Amino acid sequence: MSTEKLEQLMKGLTDNQTSHGVSLSVEMFDADNKVACIKLEDREEFPIYMTADEGQILCISYLFGDAQVDPDKRTAMVEAMLMMNVSIPLSAFSKIGDQYIMFGALSPKANIDELLHEIELLSDNVLEAIEAVSDYLKEAA
Amino acid sequence: MGIFNKLLTAVRGGATEVGEAIVDSQAIRILEQEIRDSKKALNDAKTGLTSIMAEKMGVDRKVKDLGEKIKEHEGYAIQAMDKGDENLALEIATKIAEFEHELSIQQGIRDGYDTKVVSLKKMIRQSERNIQAMDREVSVVKTTAKVQKANDLASAKFSGSNSSLNSATDSLERIKARQQKREDQAAAAMELHSDESGDDLQAKLKNAGIVDSGSSGSSILDRLKKQKGQS
Repeated sequence: MSTEKLEQLMKGLTDNQTSHGVSLSVEMFDADNKVACIKLEDREEFPIYMTADEGQILCISYLFGDAQVDPDKRTAMVEAMLMMNVSIPLSAFSKIGDQYIMFGALSPKANIDELLHEIELLSDNVLEAIEAVSDYLKEAA
Repeated sequence: MGIFNKLLTAVRGGATEVGEAIVDSQAIRILEQEIRDSKKALNDAKTGLTSIMAEKMGVDRKVKDLGEKIKEHEGYAIQAMDKGDENLALEIATKIAEFEHELSIQQGIRDGYDTKVVSLKKMIRQSERNIQAMDREVSVVKTTAKVQKANDLASAKFSGSNSSLNSATDSLERIKARQQKREDQAAAAMELHSDESGDDLQAKLKNAGIVDSGSSGSSILDRLKKQKGQS
């Protein structure tokens, strides 16, 4: 994992966001400088976490935990996610621990415009995805 | 075991444990051991490749030398035949036969090295990819614990409570409401702006005498009278 690369990307995002018409806050997230946290204006509930290494730039957003899924509908939801995966532009569903996530990965050679596009799209996809699977989730408490 | 299976094992191991525990999970330790083993295997393969390439260079030289020797002796044999010395020519030809035999052996060895070099290079590429994949998995799982904690904190903060029941759909609704509000504000601002600029224009038209500033009453009565006269 390259801290330098990550810092460079963060600076690029901060400097170029206005030309893209988005407003986002970018900050280093962990003490080891391995994870950046990106928040899009008005969508602070679903921050995007970014890591970078020699292999890829990875952007992850957390959707919800297992606890929020209606146990009776879990299998159907997972199948729906699998089927949706192909159609979603640039992002895909996955699971880390007990958290359902959506992620997008880019080549480490990707430029800032491509990264900004990826982040915007991931954020849009996250909102769309939650809307799409909300029928499988437990009724809000 | 294939790389996908290893990853799956690690992920499954991680999935059963929560938070910090993931980092210490047995599966991750196994994966880290795999990475160390793979890195060692990779180093060995690279060392192996270097020595094989060095050996191959030695054999390449031998093949080249033998080729030159054969050519050289063919020249000698022709010269001997030109001089009518059949015995010497035969002796040289026998030597050439020995060289050719040796050449075919060395060429065989060189082909063997070529194959080895290709397969070692392939193995090295594969190992490098595997190590990258495993490295990535470990770092993803390790950052998960931290990120997850922050995620919980963030959702608690935004829901204004410490309830862990804060749901994704609630968050989505809040975002949508905020977006709607923003859009409404933008629309309202736009409307206000057009109203203002509209009023402004009307005033200018009146000042310029293009629009009748005294309008209304008398002009409407005139229009009605005209209409009546026509009917």
